[in-house]
Amino acid sequence: MATPAKNIEGFYKQKKSNTSKSKSTKHAAATSSSSIAQPPALVSQGGSLDLKDDFDEEEQVLRQFDMNMAFGPCIGIPRLDRWERAQAMGLNPPKEIESILKRCKVKPQSLFDGRI
Amino acid sequence: MEVDSPEQLQRKQSTYLSFDENFEIQKEVYRGQQYSQIYFARLHCMRALLYSLVPNWKSHLPVCTVLGLEEGKECIIVGTLYKHMKLKPCILDEYSKERSVAPLVKPHNFIHQDDYLVLEDESGRVKLGGTVLSPSVYVTGVVIALHGKETSAGAFFVEDVLEAGLPPQIERQLKSREDKYVVFVSGLSIGSSSSNPLLFQLLVDHITGHLGDEEEQGLAAEIVHLVIAGNSVEISRGLLNGQNLASKDQSRLSEPFKELDIQLTQIAASLPLDIMPGSSDPANFSLPQQPLNRCLFPGSATYNTFRSCTNPHCFELDNIRFLGTSGQNIDDLTKYSEAKDKLDFLESTLRWRHLAPTTPNTLGCYPFTDRDPFLIDSCPDVYFVGNQEKYETRLVKGSEGQSVRLICIPRFCETGVAVVVNMRNLECHALTFGMQFSS
Repeated sequence: MATPAKNIEGFYKQKKSNTSKSKSTKHAAATSSSSIAQPPALVSQGGSLDLKDDFDEEEQVLRQFDMNMAFGPCIGIPRLDRWERAQAMGLNPPKEIESILKRCKVKPQSLFDGRI
Repeated sequence: MEVDSPEQLQRKQSTYLSFDENFEIQKEVYRGQQYSQIYFARLHCMRALLYSLVPNWKSHLPVCTVLGLEEGKECIIVGTLYKHMKLKPCILDEYSKERSVAPLVKPHNFIHQDDYLVLEDESGRVKLGGTVLSPSVYVTGVVIALHGKETSAGAFFVEDVLEAGLPPQIERQLKSREDKYVVFVSGLSIGSSSSNPLLFQLLVDHITGHLGDEEEQGLAAEIVHLVIAGNSVEISRGLLNGQNLASKDQSRLSEPFKELDIQLTQIAASLPLDIMPGSSDPANFSLPQQPLNRCLFPGSATYNTFRSCTNPHCFELDNIRFLGTSGQNIDDLTKYSEAKDKLDFLESTLRWRHLAPTTPNTLGCYPFTDRDPFLIDSCPDVYFVGNQEKYETRLVKGSEGQSVRLICIPRFCETGVAVVVNMRNLECHALTFGMQFSS
């Protein structure tokens, strides 16, 4: 049976920046009233719901780097190694990517890691 | 009469330099990468090279990417070729309900007249049309530049092709040299039912100077190096069917190596030798094959003249560069393309500047991430391939004065032929061993 209309806004995740999520099971939906299980793509390693990435600016910058075809495919190679390879090949990857990767606590693998 | 003449023959020597570090994979770490990485590395290096050659070819045309093609506009695109082959074995054929297309008997060569070529780069792919580019000559994995325009059907009509051509060659001073010979042999297949141990023993005796009179020994003293290009042993298939071997059969596994080691010890005591792995040797399957383990050769590995090398193998003797493989690259080209003879395949790999363009598509290869080790940067003086049907050789001249001796080394167990190259003038001849019992 389809979910009732008043649950539509509950089904789609809402742009709340500081909702703290408890690390409960997958069935605990992003917002409380959806009865449909969260699609697995949103659940990253560790079981926590992968919603915060959309708001993390540095992750956005890194994802743009992942998606840039000029530096080659991003799957199966850590981001820093891909940056260093691009540097060695003379492709001039943006320096800020290197500083983000070395400095912060960011994901070392590309956005497709674990999903493909 | 003096039995021992006071003057002893000395074997000539030459300086040896190995360039095999490129083909070693000990430092590589597998992190789950796919083959897209090696294709990217290949396209990047070759495209940079082709972009530098395009102004000399057709400087008035713009260069664009596949996605930047506009209908009717003449331009130049550079990318990797993909050949769609109807008869190429595909795992999905096993699952298809209708079996009419796939023949029950697999042909040795998978060419079909309906094969077509597609050019790919990171932005997209485009089907290639026109009659200039013949699909039977090319294989998947070659990077080339094409001049043409996009048709209304969305295909790219090819008007002209630019291959990378022979790589630059370092000039060698060949004139002031003396006669020094390098012997190539491949396909010894010790342990197979068709190999004759006497023929290899004759070869060893000739090279080490145990045969013949002073003149022949003098000729043997001018041999400075021996290269064994793969398939030195053959283990009978019945022993490798996955079942546990009885203890009496276990010795049959190691007998071919013991026999080979005895022969190699005789050779290593006398002159430097390189042994490369082949498709039937106990080395890894995918290229680049790593050197055979020295434990397999307890007798000969103690000599410093014994060198276990990678496949492909690149080395320099007295500044003459040798490059070659044990045959898997050319055999794969034979299956997926056609040419008049094996030397044409060899020449094509040089013109495409890639030792094995069909890796990793149809030939196994290690998934490198940052480089493609099979790219040929510097033109060799001698380019050889082992384990072919017959001895063939040709001298190829490049457009910038390069000169390469191409050699197909035949399988020794079938033909009894080894190949000898004179380093003074790069001339090549065959050394045939046979047994004729005249009655």
